[in-house]
Amino acid sequence: MPVVTLYFDRINKILGKKIPKTKIVDTLPFIGLDIEEETDDHINVEYSPNRPDYSTDYGIITGLQGLLEIKLGMPKLKIKTGKNMIKADVSVSKVRPYVTAIEARNGILNDETIRQIITMQEDLHNGLGRRRKKVSIGIHDLDKIKFPLRYTIMAKNHSFVPLESDVSMTVTEILEKTETGKKYGNILAGKDKVPIIIDSAGNTVSFPPIINGKFTEMNNKARNLLVEVTATDKNAAEGVLAVLANALQMAGFQLFSVKITGANNSTASLKPRDLILESDLVNKTLGINISDSLMIKSLKKSRLDAKMKGKKIVCTIPRYRTDIFGVMDLVEEIALGYGIQNLVPTMPESVSAGQRNDITKSLETIRSLMVGLGYTEVMNFELTGKEILYEKTSRDSSKMISVADSKSQEHIILRDLLLPGMMEVLSRNVHESYPQKIFEIGTVFEKNSSIREVIHLACLDAHKDANFTEVKSTLQSLLKTGFNLSCDTIPQKEPMFVDGRTGSIIVSGKKLGTIGEVDHTIADNFKLRTSVSGFEMKLTGLIFD
Amino acid sequence: MSQVLHPIEQKILKTLAEKKNLTPEELAGITKLSLDQIRRGIEWLKFKNLASVTESEKTVVTLGKRGSEALQKGLPERQLVNHLKSLDGYSCELDSAKNYLKNEFGPAIANAKKNGWIEIHENRIMLKGYHDVTSEEKIIKIISKIPTGVSADEFEDKDALESLKKRPEFVALSSKKSVLVGLTEQGLEMSKTVPVEIDFTNISETGSDSEVKVARAIDVQASAPPVFAARSHPLRDVIDEVREIFVGLGFSEIIGDNVQSSFWNFDALFTPQDHPAREMQDTFYLKDLTAGTVAKPDQIKKISQEHKKGWNYEWQSQEAKRLVLRTHTTCVTIRALADQKYDEARLFSIGRVFRNEKLSYKHLAEFHQVEGVVTGKNVTLRNLMGLQTEFYHKMGIKKIKFWPTFFPYTEPSLQSMIYNEKLGKWVELFGMGMFRPEVTKPLGIKNPVLAWGGGIERIAMLKFGLEDVRDLYENKFGWLRSVPKCP
Repeated sequence: MPVVTLYFDRINKILGKKIPKTKIVDTLPFIGLDIEEETDDHINVEYSPNRPDYSTDYGIITGLQGLLEIKLGMPKLKIKTGKNMIKADVSVSKVRPYVTAIEARNGILNDETIRQIITMQEDLHNGLGRRRKKVSIGIHDLDKIKFPLRYTIMAKNHSFVPLESDVSMTVTEILEKTETGKKYGNILAGKDKVPIIIDSAGNTVSFPPIINGKFTEMNNKARNLLVEVTATDKNAAEGVLAVLANALQMAGFQLFSVKITGANNSTASLKPRDLILESDLVNKTLGINISDSLMIKSLKKSRLDAKMKGKKIVCTIPRYRTDIFGVMDLVEEIALGYGIQNLVPTMPESVSAGQRNDITKSLETIRSLMVGLGYTEVMNFELTGKEILYEKTSRDSSKMISVADSKSQEHIILRDLLLPGMMEVLSRNVHESYPQKIFEIGTVFEKNSSIREVIHLACLDAHKDANFTEVKSTLQSLLKTGFNLSCDTIPQKEPMFVDGRTGSIIVSGKKLGTIGEVDHTIADNFKLRTSVSGFEMKLTGLIFD
Repeated sequence: MSQVLHPIEQKILKTLAEKKNLTPEELAGITKLSLDQIRRGIEWLKFKNLASVTESEKTVVTLGKRGSEALQKGLPERQLVNHLKSLDGYSCELDSAKNYLKNEFGPAIANAKKNGWIEIHENRIMLKGYHDVTSEEKIIKIISKIPTGVSADEFEDKDALESLKKRPEFVALSSKKSVLVGLTEQGLEMSKTVPVEIDFTNISETGSDSEVKVARAIDVQASAPPVFAARSHPLRDVIDEVREIFVGLGFSEIIGDNVQSSFWNFDALFTPQDHPAREMQDTFYLKDLTAGTVAKPDQIKKISQEHKKGWNYEWQSQEAKRLVLRTHTTCVTIRALADQKYDEARLFSIGRVFRNEKLSYKHLAEFHQVEGVVTGKNVTLRNLMGLQTEFYHKMGIKKIKFWPTFFPYTEPSLQSMIYNEKLGKWVELFGMGMFRPEVTKPLGIKNPVLAWGGGIERIAMLKFGLEDVRDLYENKFGWLRSVPKCP
């Protein structure tokens, strides 16, 4: 989850009231933030990506103001009508159709404010922006730009000086050579022409979603900013713009609209919306009985506006709250405003009789019998590696089931047998005293036209006299004592086991597995210096279906 | 005190009471017991705090390579003296002595002079009157008699030993560890109770009892060799404990497949198809395999409509067919709720879940999760908190608090924090919430659903005091054999 750094001196400046540090730290979890690290002068908190407005200290302080009752209700965006304009060409509609923007004027940027804005921009890119694919943002020094701007597409030989460079580069070079070009270039894969925002003097302001032009670079001397957002989804673009606008307004900037025209684009209104809520649902869901006025106050503590209209609550939601889908989200807002700590846990009225699953019951029986027979249970991963599953055991890997893009080679194939993993367990324990007797019960995966999950039982005996007879005794005893079943073992060849000392396990006419003495070369592959014998059989289809 | 002593112990006690400190070898010699029996007896006595063992390291002197030559012919200076004695006038020219002694000439002259045996006048060596046996010669003689060597401490003339050490290869020094066994005060007391005649009947060579006809008293305090009880895996025990609590709370167990379609793992839970959690770097997708039919046509239709409405994108049925290793057990519970249309139910599922993570001390790519759901006309968020609290109480956890959090498919959502006494801090444990209407409505689930659950390995780590979660799957016998069933 993304992390925001909060400096206590900034919190106190922006909060509007002196609040003790401990009170701030204690309150943060109740607006849904996880505390990562706390030091003398700052605290790092994690926020859920569904709350992009928490991507700066400004957004978090907005939340704190509510819960601490410093400021209640919805923060209102004051947007004056600006005189500048962006015109979108029809050509963008097949590449990246939407653009929107806002001006933030007369503000003062210090280094920490810039850092907060840049991390917010990155978090928005990754979250709502879906790693820039859906939405991307450019923030520029407004005074460098000659309006009106044009949002268009250009060939890949178009060149300009990109951010973090001193020389002019073509679009192709930017995609191949710059860090962001390499990272996000795939978003434009297959496009002959790329989106460009260009000013009336012909300077390239931005090449979304990759990089800005150098000439509009924001620094701490900039007093007026242009925030432009391009997107594949108009609604998402305006949501992101609203989050940015709200933070910049709190940072002391005055907001001015930017007129957007052309190709289905229009000026963003960033207006709040209303949702109607019945107080009954709130009390019924939370299991409390609070008054309408307390509900309204609770919503206001969650920085929403609310008022009664007849018997219903009309709740007004600021544009930046993209996480609110419907009334149930408002119920949660009331719970937070009311205080989770004020909800007293209580058991449900109804009663019911619980039970274990039938398969679980059978497995518990088998487990207790195996322990009674002197075997210790081991637990291995279902996702394993080729070396253990097939190579060291000389097994056929033609029906291997792999996962895509595993971060580890040892966890890339779904096991089709328990024994290889158990051999690895013995291998890890060569320095421990013998005899070593182990068993495992677990899911293995069979691939035919589809995937079938089957529960297996396997056991291994390792000591100097381990042999076929010993494990056959175990098998017979398990089936007899557990399920009054008998079994036959019929000669069979199997690469893991010694020829002539290997058998198929047949129960009620069905072949269910293999029993035998483990081949010495195989044991050697696992660095075992002792005799090993064992069996593995299906339980699915025998004990249960 | 009625402590029973083995005859071997009695013998050692008695011997040590007379002779004070001895080595095990010396004890074996005196008592006529085998060294093995002596060693065992010493261990027993040590355990009972009757004997104490001090280990010391001492320097041992043995004959060097030229030691036996020196023994036969004498040290070079003695050879010189003997040579002079055989000559008329007890003297000779320096050159003739050089000729006789060859390489030994230098040391012979130097040492003979040092000993005051000779005088040199104008190239002639004259023997003086006194040439007694020196300390150096005594040392060589003594060590020649004891092949195992003599402790350096036993020689009184330390200077002589030093000077011999400096001379090439007459003596060799090595260090040898030895133990000395003595009695403690209690041991000395105890030795007084040892009978004069020690009864060695029925004691075999190895010291174990054989064919005892009359039960002789044995040492019931002695430790016995270890045996290891076969057992279920400690993580399994935690899973069973959790399951039992759920059953006790009235929940019925359901199980489902590890491999699921994206439809049930994600789409049915209102996770949009472009959500980062669905990317390959977080989730394991099966290679080259897709699901056939994922759900009933009506379920697919309604879920896709809900996505279009809520997330404003074109829902792809192909994406929903991708097979994943389930990232949570919620796909099992939601499917049961959707298919069975319960008015009222308490269900739970325990099973493995998978995340494409690099393994570390706190992350596994595969772990166990438990999830419980409750549906009913009147269930509330406070009920969810109540069930959670009851669950923790049954696990022996008393201090619990709740914080808001976010899950894509629940609203409201909470996380529970528990106070861990061992760590002395609050630890995040199970998450919970009520399924969103965007999840329940399209699947035809009418009543509210409470859902809660979390990882089991985390509980196991707290329970067994583990710092590395991977230890749970190492299956090391050292751990399996030592970790208590009820820690």
